[in-house]
Amino acid sequence: MSDQLTTAMADLEEGTVLKLVQQRLDAGDNPLAILTSCREGMTLVGKRFEACEYYVSELVMAGEIFKQATALLSSRLKSDAIGQRGKVVIGTVKGDIHDIGKDIVVNLLKAANYDVRDLGVDVPPQKVVDAVKETGATVVGLSGLLTIAFDSMKETVNALAAAGLRPKVKVMIGGGSITETVQRYTGADAWGTDAQIAVSLCNQWIKEVAK
Amino acid sequence: MSNEALYQERFNRIQKAINLEPVDRVPVVFMGVAFAPRYIGMSIADFCADPEATVKANLATMDKLGGFDGINLAGAGRITPLLTAMWLSRLGVPGRDLPPDSLWQVREAEVMTVDDYDFIINNGWQAFLGSYMPRVIDMAEFGEAMGWLMANMGSCLSAYREHGYVSVCVTAASPPYECFCGGRSMQKFIFDLHRIPDKVQAAMDKIMPDIIGPAIGTASATGIKGIWVGGWRAASALLSPKLWDRFAWPYYVKIVNALVEAGLTPVLHWDQDWTRDLARLRELPAKKCVLNPDGMTNMRKFKELVGDRMAMMGDVPASMFAAGTPDDIYKYVRDLVRLFGSTGLILCPGCDAPINTKPENMEAFVAAAREYGKVA
Repeated sequence: MSDQLTTAMADLEEGTVLKLVQQRLDAGDNPLAILTSCREGMTLVGKRFEACEYYVSELVMAGEIFKQATALLSSRLKSDAIGQRGKVVIGTVKGDIHDIGKDIVVNLLKAANYDVRDLGVDVPPQKVVDAVKETGATVVGLSGLLTIAFDSMKETVNALAAAGLRPKVKVMIGGGSITETVQRYTGADAWGTDAQIAVSLCNQWIKEVAK
Repeated sequence: MSNEALYQERFNRIQKAINLEPVDRVPVVFMGVAFAPRYIGMSIADFCADPEATVKANLATMDKLGGFDGINLAGAGRITPLLTAMWLSRLGVPGRDLPPDSLWQVREAEVMTVDDYDFIINNGWQAFLGSYMPRVIDMAEFGEAMGWLMANMGSCLSAYREHGYVSVCVTAASPPYECFCGGRSMQKFIFDLHRIPDKVQAAMDKIMPDIIGPAIGTASATGIKGIWVGGWRAASALLSPKLWDRFAWPYYVKIVNALVEAGLTPVLHWDQDWTRDLARLRELPAKKCVLNPDGMTNMRKFKELVGDRMAMMGDVPASMFAAGTPDDIYKYVRDLVRLFGSTGLILCPGCDAPINTKPENMEAFVAAAREYGKVA
């Protein structure tokens, strides 16, 4: 049955996923085991994306299905069952209100078992600093579609440094016009052209911290 | 040389580039809607409020920089109502909703509903827009802006010509994918493609005549042959081949063919990365269209796969104008000219030089075009 759910999740079969989650809940299955099946499906989605079988259109749909499945499970899951892999603070930087790319990243990170503090859009640098202090996050994701976001990203990286947090956090940036030039300009640690790269970066950085 | 003679020389140069004929030097075209007012010291709030500001700012900027053959899309009228019409979305307007010298922003949200597809299928696009537009803009403001444009478009276009500049494009005919994606918001629209694909397709088919007809009408009224065929959210990098082949590409083909049949020049103003599907451009009429990418699509592949059939107008990246150096710009322009040689290249900022373009980078763009553009 878990294979069925994983496969349905990976194949983006929305109705089947929700039906199987409910069936397994009704049958008294462990909610964490059900969540794990969904996550395994999301891992397959990520692999298909990396293999260019899936694109952003599929990541968006997968994120939506996973979100609905998690909502069905949420009341039965212990709070410490979610977000065990690491903590990430994320937001679209000050002056930019675009949230599509950020939301895709948030969904994928949650599916990959990260504890994500989503600060929303038009986020001032100090809010990022405060969130990192509060959560102890080791990764910060800064999003922006417009080129006016570059300066805000730079200011945010500088604010983290001024608060003495820079050695403790890795900063990744993403968005439509982000390039290596922009990464250098902002002082971020890495940049990504797609949401799956954000998950890979977090996995890599969390491993480095664990060493 | 008179400005009219200059205009004719530049027009011929651009036309040769589109026809893939050798040029005496690579044509250079301006595009920097928000950069222009900032470059000449005009506040963005004033720029957004005054319908005459677009032409004033563009002409003052192009004259000051020198070296341009023309402008990509001949800007005229107030920018924010036009963007609302293009995106079917509410806009944050500087001086009203946003700080006076900030950039306007599309507030993408689910305004169009799933039920609206049925309305469109049953009643058509124009009837839908009549009921929809009040959801995203004050109709008195919208009516005034469109009225001004109708009354003054001719004089705006004449102003560009009087300064010796060619207006390459005059309006846009974006496929249904982009219209619906703007109104529904990207995420909700992608859900629709998976959940109710047949309904979405039926609505797309319904509105096609209303996309093509007005664009041909505007071109015919103004005498300008270039029409933007927009693509931003339908990009290959965002859509799986299965979805792209059904909901994006067939509509591009139909729009392009209809425009070419009408004697017009479709300019594929495509943001994002379309590299995966570049070979498909061979399905379009040869030497009749222009690709106008933003720096994300692979130009080596374009040249290799389609360079014998289509010119490229672009594609110095917006990020380079904002965060790069004059040396970066010089190198980028040099490499483009080396790649294309004397045929099929029109130098232009990719998409649009952004508001925070460093002036020295735009000046470097013009200087590099002058230095490397002499390929004959």
